[in-house]
Amino acid sequence: MRFWGMFRFTIGETIRRGTLIFYFCVATCFLIFFSLAIGHSPDNPGVITIFGSEFAHESLPELNVVEFILIQLHSSSVFWIILFGIFGVAGLIPGMLEKGTIDLFLSKPLARAELLMARALGATAGIAVNLIYFFVGIWLIFGLKAGVWHWGFLSSVIYVVYAFACFFSIVAIAGLITRSAGFSILIAFSFALISWGLELREKLFYLLWDNPVYHRLLDAFYYLTPQLNAMLANSSRVIGKDPLTPYSAEFTFMPFIYSLFSASLLYGLSIWYFSRQDY
Amino acid sequence: MEALQTVDLTKLYRTGLLKRKNITALEKVSISVDQGTIFGLLGPNGAGKTTFVKLLLSIALPTSGTATVLGHSIGQRALKKHCGYLPESHRYPGFLTALDTLIFFGRLNGLPESTLKDKAKSLLELVGLKDWAKVKTKKFSKGMLQRLGLAQALVNDPKLLFLDEPTDGVDPIGRKEIRDILIKLKSAGTTIFLNSHLLSEIEMICDKVAILNRGIVVRTGIISELTAQKLIFNIQLSEPVSEDIKVSLSHKHFSLEFKDTNLIAALKDKSELNSIIDTLRASGIGIEGMTQQKTSLEDYFIQLVKGENEQ
Repeated sequence: MRFWGMFRFTIGETIRRGTLIFYFCVATCFLIFFSLAIGHSPDNPGVITIFGSEFAHESLPELNVVEFILIQLHSSSVFWIILFGIFGVAGLIPGMLEKGTIDLFLSKPLARAELLMARALGATAGIAVNLIYFFVGIWLIFGLKAGVWHWGFLSSVIYVVYAFACFFSIVAIAGLITRSAGFSILIAFSFALISWGLELREKLFYLLWDNPVYHRLLDAFYYLTPQLNAMLANSSRVIGKDPLTPYSAEFTFMPFIYSLFSASLLYGLSIWYFSRQDY
Repeated sequence: MEALQTVDLTKLYRTGLLKRKNITALEKVSISVDQGTIFGLLGPNGAGKTTFVKLLLSIALPTSGTATVLGHSIGQRALKKHCGYLPESHRYPGFLTALDTLIFFGRLNGLPESTLKDKAKSLLELVGLKDWAKVKTKKFSKGMLQRLGLAQALVNDPKLLFLDEPTDGVDPIGRKEIRDILIKLKSAGTTIFLNSHLLSEIEMICDKVAILNRGIVVRTGIISELTAQKLIFNIQLSEPVSEDIKVSLSHKHFSLEFKDTNLIAALKDKSELNSIIDTLRASGIGIEGMTQQKTSLEDYFIQLVKGENEQ
């Protein structure tokens, strides 16, 4: 009851934030754009048109056009969607810690762990509302206008929301320690870059120093922190195989499982830190 | 029975880059508050009043010492179910209306969903915000937010109410209304713990006070006992007192101050007053008027804190 009270409140606070309202408007613009762009060829109902022109790829005549568009759209946008999402809700934890707000929250019979987790889940749920709106919108447009109801694309939103929830663990601990939305965003964005680099550590960081200890440290850091890039790449693979990437990897749950552990560890550390602070 | 009892409650804050420097916010504070009374905690800025309440509600964590609130040790969640708290600088989500704010805090207190709306409405009526129920709190003035804060603190029908500067920013009529609410709550059995700079208000409603200075309790007691330590009389005379009479009076009474036709006498008991009047009348000086000056809580507080700081 108390946890859900705070959870509901956080969703409401997230949705009412100016940045999230702005994202909602941007998403709406994209949806309008796609609904105007996508259509059928009047001569051949099986052919997809974009602004009236038939869509075909010269080198891949057998290409599943809708799947191709959805994969490209998904893989090129989810990373930025997550970052913009973080930008929109990074202030929730430092905002909770402001004098006058935290006193009220901590004076209620709500454990600090419950309070923190309700905020984190509320922020994720708030972002999820926006993501679901966008993904369902795209799915409906392709379904209604192109006749392709791609369930893989629709289900990929679950993986993106999951990736966001794991990634938010970085923002939560950064927000608790720095008590600043700006610093939390900076740390989260830096981590997103590092995560991308760690994903390619064998081809990138390993080459900097040929030392097994250094390599194992990089590996440890990779597995102990949420694997944002790997999760997002796999969320795109739910839609299908990218025809432009030869030998592209198959979908795997492993990054999601590793990230569950690392996010749990980070949320655990956040709770430990939060419960030992004076406000 | 005590609603609240602390024994040697101490709080040190660690500051500095390496957190090696200690600042003592509270030092061995031992206070007990009886159930169903209004207790006032006084002290200059930075004395540790807010820290004391924060320790009791586990908003800050004590360095040493023990405390029990309504029979529960501090840190137990069950304690907070029966406590209400109005912090000094409270912020409410501006996107919520007054009614929604109270419903939200009711939820955080674990009140049943079915009762929340009615409870919120009745509290808004109690604090005089009935007509503002559907207005977003971002449009509220400081005084209105203070009233809403009081309603928020009462949402769970607390047995113990902590109020930190409850009338800050409230107009005189509003202050009177808040005082009346507190007196009504007291008569219903609620224990009220009041932190305030407004000593006149404390004097009006508190049964007992503690004075905190630099984290140490320097005095605890019933207000009437604290303020009745000295009897001061202002005597208006028909003519100035001659030097001979001054000397004669000074031999008998050591705390006399002469200002033209005024004599201010600080006495240990009322029998000394008759002796002064007899001496004056025997010298042919008439008494035109006489008023008793009672030491106000404010005077007492200022004298005490100044004295402590000079030591």
